[in-house]
This record gives sequence, structure tokens and C-alpha cells, in this order.
Amino acid sequence: MAFSTTVSQRKHIKRKAPRGFLKRVFKRQKPHLRLETSGDLLVHLNCLLFVHRLAEESRMNAFESKCGVIKKEHVQAAAKVILKKSRG
Amino acid sequence: MAETMAESYNRESEPTTRTLLRRVLDTADTRTPRRRRSARVSAQKALLETPSSRRLSSPTKMNVRRRSHRARSIGRLAHVHTSGNLEEQTPRTLLKNILLTAPESSIMMPESVVKPVPTPQVVQSSRRESSRGSLELQLPELEPPTTLALGLLAPGRRKQRLRLSVFQQGMDQGLPLSQEPRGNASASSLTSSLNLTFATPLQPQSVQRPGLARRPPTRRAVDVGAFLQDLRDTSLALASPGDSLRTPVATLQMDTVLEDTQPFSQPLVGRSPSVYHSLPCTEAEDAERAVSHRTQSSGPRLQNHNPRKPAQLLAAKAKKVDALAVSFPNNSSAISGEDGVEPLQDGVGEEAEERMEEGLSVSKVMDTTGTQGSVRTEKSKGYREMTEAVEAKEPEGSSGDEDISGRTASTELASSTTEFLQARRPQFLEPAPPPSTAVLSSEPLEPLSTRLPPRARTPGPRPRQDPHKTGLSHYVKLFSFYSKMPMEKAALEMVEKCLDKYFQHLCDDLEVFAAHAGRKTVRPEDLELLMRRQGLVNDQVSLHVLVERHLPLEYRQLLIPCAFSGNSVFPAQ
Repeated sequence: MAFSTTVSQRKHIKRKAPRGFLKRVFKRQKPHLRLETSGDLLVHLNCLLFVHRLAEESRMNAFESKCGVIKKEHVQAAAKVILKKSRG
Repeated sequence: MAETMAESYNRESEPTTRTLLRRVLDTADTRTPRRRRSARVSAQKALLETPSSRRLSSPTKMNVRRRSHRARSIGRLAHVHTSGNLEEQTPRTLLKNILLTAPESSIMMPESVVKPVPTPQVVQSSRRESSRGSLELQLPELEPPTTLALGLLAPGRRKQRLRLSVFQQGMDQGLPLSQEPRGNASASSLTSSLNLTFATPLQPQSVQRPGLARRPPTRRAVDVGAFLQDLRDTSLALASPGDSLRTPVATLQMDTVLEDTQPFSQPLVGRSPSVYHSLPCTEAEDAERAVSHRTQSSGPRLQNHNPRKPAQLLAAKAKKVDALAVSFPNNSSAISGEDGVEPLQDGVGEEAEERMEEGLSVSKVMDTTGTQGSVRTEKSKGYREMTEAVEAKEPEGSSGDEDISGRTASTELASSTTEFLQARRPQFLEPAPPPSTAVLSSEPLEPLSTRLPPRARTPGPRPRQDPHKTGLSHYVKLFSFYSKMPMEKAALEMVEKCLDKYFQHLCDDLEVFAAHAGRKTVRPEDLELLMRRQGLVNDQVSLHVLVERHLPLEYRQLLIPCAFSGNSVFPAQ
């Protein structure tokens, strides 16, 4: 199965935050608000934690279904939980 | 004749093929009973030429109009005679012989020998538009070859010798000659606002060309037709009153210009492409010739299949001539250049056919093929020119229409277009421009405006999406890193969706928090509150801890206040 459909785990990631992207997203969603300096970094941190939780959750789902590969359903199930948890 | 011819060609004062032909014509006239026509033709020519000269000195529409009308009236009279005479003419056969024999003599020659015949006819065709006596014009020119035919090869060789010299001279003089028409065009562009005659004269040529080209294959015809229609629409819409007057005038001028430069341009076409390129003005004329050649070449191909029976051909010619006669009065009645275009095209086609028939009936297929080969070489050159011209025009914004029309119509179009388009476009695109400025300025500007935007559009949306995707992809990668498992691509797409949702919620929450605090700025406190509500920050785990845990050092410095030397705290609180 392969190779084309599955993506292997990443060993290395950039720790740099896409600050421009974060600012742009916020500005696009709320053009009337402004994000204080280094606010985007905290958003990045929050997003980081969200992704972390989501990954953990989906990984647990994959384990529960005895599947070696994280499938779409696993992510979907995890997202339901995590998005609810990460509500403001 | 001789006097007028001498007058007209005094400037050239060189033994060019043209002059030779003219002499032959003069002699032929005395022998043949059609002398009258030749005289008429000469008169017409005088008329045609004089207005042009006058224009240069004092360009006013009225003069030109009168002249054109006169020419038409003469032309009508002439028509009647022509139809009857066509069949009788044996000299045509002589012409054909010349055409056939010429290619055999030498590789270089065939083009030159073949060319002189078509070129005058082309000129005639252009004249037809202006003056409906075009049919008559054909005959006198057909006659000259008859006289030549008597001498057949000998005169042809003479011509050859002359041509080498002439060709060189043409090379030298082609440049100055080419500049002349340019000067006219430039002057027209400058003064075009007042003098429509100047700007427009170029237009009819362009119109003519497609007509010439229309003959050969069907696909060409389609493109050209569309092109012409567009031209008509635009021209009609823009200048309804002016058109009728303009077109004849323009044709007249074109004729004169062509006559001036023709002898030189011919040799250039066949032999020296480099010089050729250097002479843009002559190119137009070359183009006409090329068109004529094409028509010839195409004609023989078509006819090769048909059984050649001179009698049938002659009959067909007669019919065509009749049709022409019918069409011409229409032209005269409806002076508008557009109406004239189609009949003119027909006439051109007829001419081409006639030539073809003549050539075929007398000659053998082999000869025609040989001439075709030469013609093809010319064509290829013409195509090159076309491409060049097109490239030059592209900045102007001449889009596919011109390219198509140019190829279909003929190389000539393209070559000529450089000048013609300048004259045309301002009219079409900008209805009431001061053409002088419009010619130069408008062309480059419009294409830019029209062409660039589509280019800009394609990249436009992509970058918009791309950064978003890339930004999301960053977190998707984080996801795949944290998950510590291989995952499906579909799952990654799902993650992207989740991230979208997440950001949406996040922004909404932050807005609510800021609004609750009475602020329009989202501050770190809001984010801390958010994280506290998300359960990420609690009494055991503070925000700073999370920052230290998850963010690199450079970000930590920005987020966590720290005492620096000089008793300062960097992220001031």
C-alpha cells in the first residue's frame, strides 16, 4: 500500500513559526481587530498544542482500531474530540 | 502611354524589368487592336499617379475623390470590351510560354521571369478596387509578354543579365525607395487627424490582402472572413461617413506607392532575404507579389487535377469576367470599401485563375511545379517575414487574428501589416483619436493592457492560496511529526480541514475575549485565557512553561520577560 497513499512519519521539522501566515489568517478572519506583538507567537503555540493533541488523539484512535497507519477516520474522530476541547 | 510611363518612371531611370515590360507594352499596343484600352489605362494611371503626387503636396480629400470617381467611370466603359477580348487573346498563350520557358533557363531566373507578370496584375487588382476598369488593365499587361514571347528566351536572358545589375541597384536603391512610402505613412500618421486620406490609404491594402489570400484553401477563407467582418464592423461603427470616401483614396495611394518601389522589391524578394528584411516598406509590395505567386501556385495545384482544356478555361474566364462586370457596378454604386472588397477579391481570384489557366494550358505540369517550387521558397521567406512581423506586432497587441489572417492571407499581410496595422488600429480601437499620437502610442499601450492582465491573473489567485496552504502544511507536518506514525494522505487533508476549523474558532474566541475586555486589540492575556479555558494552561502548568517547552529559544525571548543588563526587562510588561 502503499507508498503513494501513506506518508511516513516526519523525523525532522522546522520549529520556526510561520508568523506571517498566522498574522494573515487572523487578519483575514477578523480584519477589524489587531493582534498585539508576539500575539502570533502565542497563537502559534496554541496551534502547536492543538496539533499535538490532535495527533495524540488520532494516534490513539489508530491504535485502538489496531491499524498501523493513521487513517482519515481516525483523524476525523480525534478532531471531533479535540475541537470540542479546544473551544474557547 | 510612353510619355506617362516615362514620367512615372523617370525617378527610377534604370533598366528594370518593369520598364522593359512597359516598353514592350508600348510596342504591343501599336500592333494590337486594343490600343484604346492601353491609352485608357495610361490615362487612368496618370489619374492615379497625379492624385498621389498632389496629395503629397496638398492632401485634400476632394481631389482624390474626384479622381477616383473618374477612374471608376472609365473602368465601367472598359469592362464591356474586356469580356469579349479575353477569349480572342492569343498573346496570353505567349505569356504562358514565357512563364514556362523562363524557369528552365536558370534557377535564379524563374522567379524573376515569373514574377514580373504577376506583379503588374496585382497592381492592377489593387487598382480595380479604386477604379473598376481593372479588367482592361489586365489586358495591356498580358500583351507585353506576347511581344516578349515572340523573342521568347532571348529577351528573357537579356532580362537576366539586366536583373543582376538591376538587382544590385535595387539593393542600393531599395532602401531609399522603401523610405519614401514610410515617409508617407509617417506623414499620414502625423497629419492623419486632419487628413483622413493619409492614414486610411494603408488600410485598403490590408483589406486587399486577405482578399488575395482568400483564394487558396478554405480554412484561410474562414479566418480572413471573420477578420474582414471585424474590420468592417469596427470601421462602419467608427467612421460610417468617412469609409466610403477613404477606401478609394487609399487604394489609389497604395497603387502609386507600389509602382514606385516595385521594380526593386522584386529581385529582393527572391534573392536577398537579408536586404528584404531591412526594407519593411518593400516588404508590403513583396507581400503582394507573394500573394500573387501563391494564388498562382495554388491555382496550378487545383487545376492539375482538372483536365486542361483551354477552350473550357477560356469560357470559364469569360464567365468570370462577366461576373466581375456585374460585381463592379455594385462597387461603384456602393462606394464603401467593404462592399468593394469582396468583388475585388473575386476579381483577384479570377486573375489568378486566368493566369493559372493560361500557364497550364500552354505549359506542362512540370514547368508549373518548378515555378511552384520557386514560389514556395519565396513563401517560406515570406513566412519568416510573417513571423518577424508578427513578433514585432505582438507588443502592439495584434493577437491571433492577425497571425491567422497573416498566414492565411499571405506573408504579405504580415510584412505589410507593420505599416498598415499602425494605420488601422488607431481607427478600430480608438474611434476618434488624433491618429498621429494614436498610431504610435495607442498600439503598444493597448496590447499591454489587454495582454498583461490575463498573465497577472493566473499567478494572482495561486499565491493567494499557496501561502495559506504552505502555512497549513507547516502544521500538517507538525501533525505527522507528533503522530509518530505513518498516515494516509487523506488523513493529512483531514488535518488541514481541522486546522481551518480550528483557526476559525480561535479567531472567533479571541474576538469575543477582546470585545469582552473592551479592546480592539488581541493581547497575550486573551490568549492565555483561551489556553486556560482549553485546559492547556492550569495551575500546575503556566503559559511560560508551555512556551519554554514548545517554542524555540528565540521565541521564548520574545514571550517570556527577562531581565537584561542595564536593569531592563525585555518584553516590557
